Amino acid sequence: MKKTILQAFILLSMAAGIYLLISRVDWMKLFRIEKMTDALEQKLGDMVWAGMEEQSIEEGKEYQRVDSLVTAICKSNGFERKKIKLHIMGDSEVNAFALPDRHMVVHTGLINAVHNNDELSGVLAHEIAHMELSHVMKKLLKQMGYTLLISITTGEAGGGAIKELLGMLSSTAYDRKLEKDADIKAIEYLKKTGISPNGFADFLYRLGEKDGSLGSLSWISTHPDSKERAKYIREKAGR
Amino acid sequence: MSMAPTFAYHPDEAEAEKASNSYLMSLIAIMVGFPLPIINLMATLFFYIANRKSTYFVRWHCIQALLSQLSLFVINTIGFWWTVSVFFREDEHVSNPYLAYVITVFVVNVFELALTIVAAIKTRKGQHVSWWFYGPLTQMMCKP
Repeated sequence: MKKTILQAFILLSMAAGIYLLISRVDWMKLFRIEKMTDALEQKLGDMVWAGMEEQSIEEGKEYQRVDSLVTAICKSNGFERKKIKLHIMGDSEVNAFALPDRHMVVHTGLINAVHNNDELSGVLAHEIAHMELSHVMKKLLKQMGYTLLISITTGEAGGGAIKELLGMLSSTAYDRKLEKDADIKAIEYLKKTGISPNGFADFLYRLGEKDGSLGSLSWISTHPDSKERAKYIREKAGR
Repeated sequence: MSMAPTFAYHPDEAEAEKASNSYLMSLIAIMVGFPLPIINLMATLFFYIANRKSTYFVRWHCIQALLSQLSLFVINTIGFWWTVSVFFREDEHVSNPYLAYVITVFVVNVFELALTIVAAIKTRKGQHVSWWFYGPLTQMMCKP
């Protein structure tokens, strides 16, 4: 009996040993998975943005306001500001979203809906967190699959697929865990920038109340349980 | 991993064939059920149930095949569900630990496949095959 237990132990140790040995190899690098995903992301980002470019406002007061807030968050958190491609869209919908290859789209509707820069910084930090945590590509790969994404970049999937992809990123939420991860990261970024996350929580709370003066609330309809989010952001902000 | 000790008696032709089939069952199941690890286990389990009142040699090898499939089932099931979550959960993605696990599962399955083929051939010839760990464990569970 003792011998069999010892043999079981040795067998398990051998299996664990094989796994540890194999995991020493950088398979992601060997199979060029990250490189392939990066190249795909860049291509997708360019293609999606090409379809929206005309509606973009790349200068003016609103652009400068958002740009200065994004720059402040990037500077305080060690991110390269140049890598984020900021775009302001003239749209009354309260919305902001991240596209592949670090394109960040902010609607003028959102800029008009916030009461102060702290609130706006909260939303921007949340979108930056989605970019930093690679949520955009994770979501696309999950919902569309590698093959379809590649066929979009080669043009095989047709123009409709790009619209579908844009619709998915601008009007549907990430899953609950990813949203929470982005919120928690956003709190961290805001704190490092010297901005109180309470502004972000206030904005979420107001959206949760579905304040009629805010107009069309895309951002909140894609980010469920905003009151609950406001609650945990306030809790974490206090720490 | 395998030893060739002598068995309590020399099995006849029909017994050797049945014992060999217990291993072949898991081989066929590997091909049919690769993405669904439970199929391998079910196949060997059904074969054991069908032969549980058979001769000592047949029962012994059915149990050894079943036990080896049981541990393979655990390893493959983890790999299966990990793969499912990589495909369907947004917070799970292809990572180095995942790829290392899939490769480990592949290595273990190939190793087990080779052992199973050898065991199927040897038992078909009427030779006794007792695997390391699984042999003594089978010995404890299967009495003449």
